[in-house]
Amino acid sequence: MLVVEGLTCRFGTKAAVDNASFSIAPGSFVGVIGRSGAGKSTLLRMINRLAEPSEGRILFEGVDVTALRGKDLRQWRARSAMIFQQFNLVGRLDVLTNVLMGRLADMPSWRSLTQLWPEEDRALAMSALEQFDMGSLAAQRADQLSGGQQQRVAIARALVQNPEIILADEPIASLDPRNTRVVMDALLRINKHFGITVICNLHSLDLARNYCDRLIGMSAGRVVFDGAPAKLTDQIARELYDLEANEVMGTTSGEAPADSTIPALGTAAAA
Amino acid sequence: MSLLPPPERERLRAQYPDVFARPASARLATPAMILAAAAIFAFGLVDLDFSPARLLAGFHQLGWITMMMIPPDPGSSLPAYLVALGETLSIALLGTTIGALVALPVSLLAARNIVPSGIFRFPVRRFLDSIRGVDTLIWALVWINVVGLGPFAGVLAIAVADFGAFGKLFSEAIEAADKKQVEGIRASGGNALHEIRFGLMPQVLPVIAGQVLYFIESNTRSATIIGIVGAGGIGLQLAEQIRVLEWQKVSFLILMILVAVAAIDWISGKLRFAIIGQRALA
Ligand SMILES: Nc1ncnc2c1ncn2[C@@H]1O[C@H](COP(=O)(O)OP(=O)(O)OP(=O)(O)O)[C@@H](O)[C@H]1O
Ligand SMILES: [Mg+2]
Repeated sequence: MLVVEGLTCRFGTKAAVDNASFSIAPGSFVGVIGRSGAGKSTLLRMINRLAEPSEGRILFEGVDVTALRGKDLRQWRARSAMIFQQFNLVGRLDVLTNVLMGRLADMPSWRSLTQLWPEEDRALAMSALEQFDMGSLAAQRADQLSGGQQQRVAIARALVQNPEIILADEPIASLDPRNTRVVMDALLRINKHFGITVICNLHSLDLARNYCDRLIGMSAGRVVFDGAPAKLTDQIARELYDLEANEVMGTTSGEAPADSTIPALGTAAAA
Repeated sequence: MSLLPPPERERLRAQYPDVFARPASARLATPAMILAAAAIFAFGLVDLDFSPARLLAGFHQLGWITMMMIPPDPGSSLPAYLVALGETLSIALLGTTIGALVALPVSLLAARNIVPSGIFRFPVRRFLDSIRGVDTLIWALVWINVVGLGPFAGVLAIAVADFGAFGKLFSEAIEAADKKQVEGIRASGGNALHEIRFGLMPQVLPVIAGQVLYFIESNTRSATIIGIVGAGGIGLQLAEQIRVLEWQKVSFLILMILVAVAAIDWISGKLRFAIIGQRALA
């Protein structure tokens, strides 16, 4: 059970996440939705402790995660595996070594720093790669792969961390529709197959409705919706995203566009 | 583009007055600066006794020396010259390598993304800056007094001067590294050493290797020069032969240096391309 209590993160005076509270049962697939700047990434980064909370607590199975330091903190980071929009692989390392990074927290530093990976860790990494059809690319440099392939490597890295939670921060935002399906299906498979909790930031409401069994809606740092996808009415969805639509209108001209879809030269220059 | 109608021109003029009004000061600034630069240049020529007459007389001498240099001929000293050339190359290679090895850990301390606190980073930076401010030649003179004449002083001189330069260059390469890759390691549970070893070094090492190779190249020249003041190698031979007016040997030595420098340039160019080429082409 992951419990978030009054979690707040301020950058200067601005609260990126403002007094967020919720709890998540093991094995859930939770989608976090909201417009750009709502605080979705900051929320996930605080759970993994990449961002420091200003106030509030995160509890996992009764342990106060926000108080962890040193080795305990690193082990928590491994247990709450992070997946990023930009994959965050090391481009010049090969795919296998990138996946083995998921084993760092569980082995003595002298072993990892000298790259003397234990046989079983290599096997674990290869088996994770194989699950996503990436076994044959193990020796390739990560920056020579396509975006979809890189994200599958990142998921394999997350998987060998033996995580209890996977925190995916817009994992499909840089991918085409086909790879979007591949990556979302992979997350769903991990969730159903291994019972790993998935918390996934998403821009697309359709995807969120299709894959998640619970949605958390954020707006200006606050949790404004928390419930089953079916309960997310069009009315609430519009409230979550409407503000943004208004802003977009406001920056162009404030009026309805002319009958032509191509803006006239003068208005484009004025914008 | 066609001409704008006058009302449109008026509107633009009213909206962006700065673009249209060029005050006299702005128009005169460039000619004034050129004039001032010319004046300083002329003053310098006069002040430093620049004399075309002396230059002409000198040309006569230069022509004579050139005649004396032909044909280049090492006499019986070829083996000694080869040893000296090898010494110079070793000075460059060893000095640069030692400088780079010592600079790498220090450059980490000077990089903002490793040591965010300015209080700790600032003294390291200033220290590197002050070492870098002193030229290799001066370091050579210093070390000759400390450890005596010979190649050892040359190696130390190049190592110390490069340490300063490398410290700055490496720390800049480290600061330019992609943060996301390091974050990927941290998020997986890696410690600070893991972040450096796996997140940073794969990005930074190819850049560093390219810089080191380039320095070996240019230090082959420096090692010749510091040889002249007594730090061993082929520069020492060159200074000696100029003093005893053995112009044929001098020209032979100069040719040897040219060939060696060209060879090092070629090799290091190939190596650098092999290291960064793949990435640059992608
Ligand atoms: N390191 C930081 N320093 C300062 N402000 C930050 C930092 N990280 C995030 N913010 C601010 O916090 C707010 C929330 O950012 P966050 O990245 O969490 O939003 P998001 O919901 O993930 O948006 P997006 O959908 O665009 O990724 C934004 O206004 C952002 O400018
Ligand atoms: Mg985000």
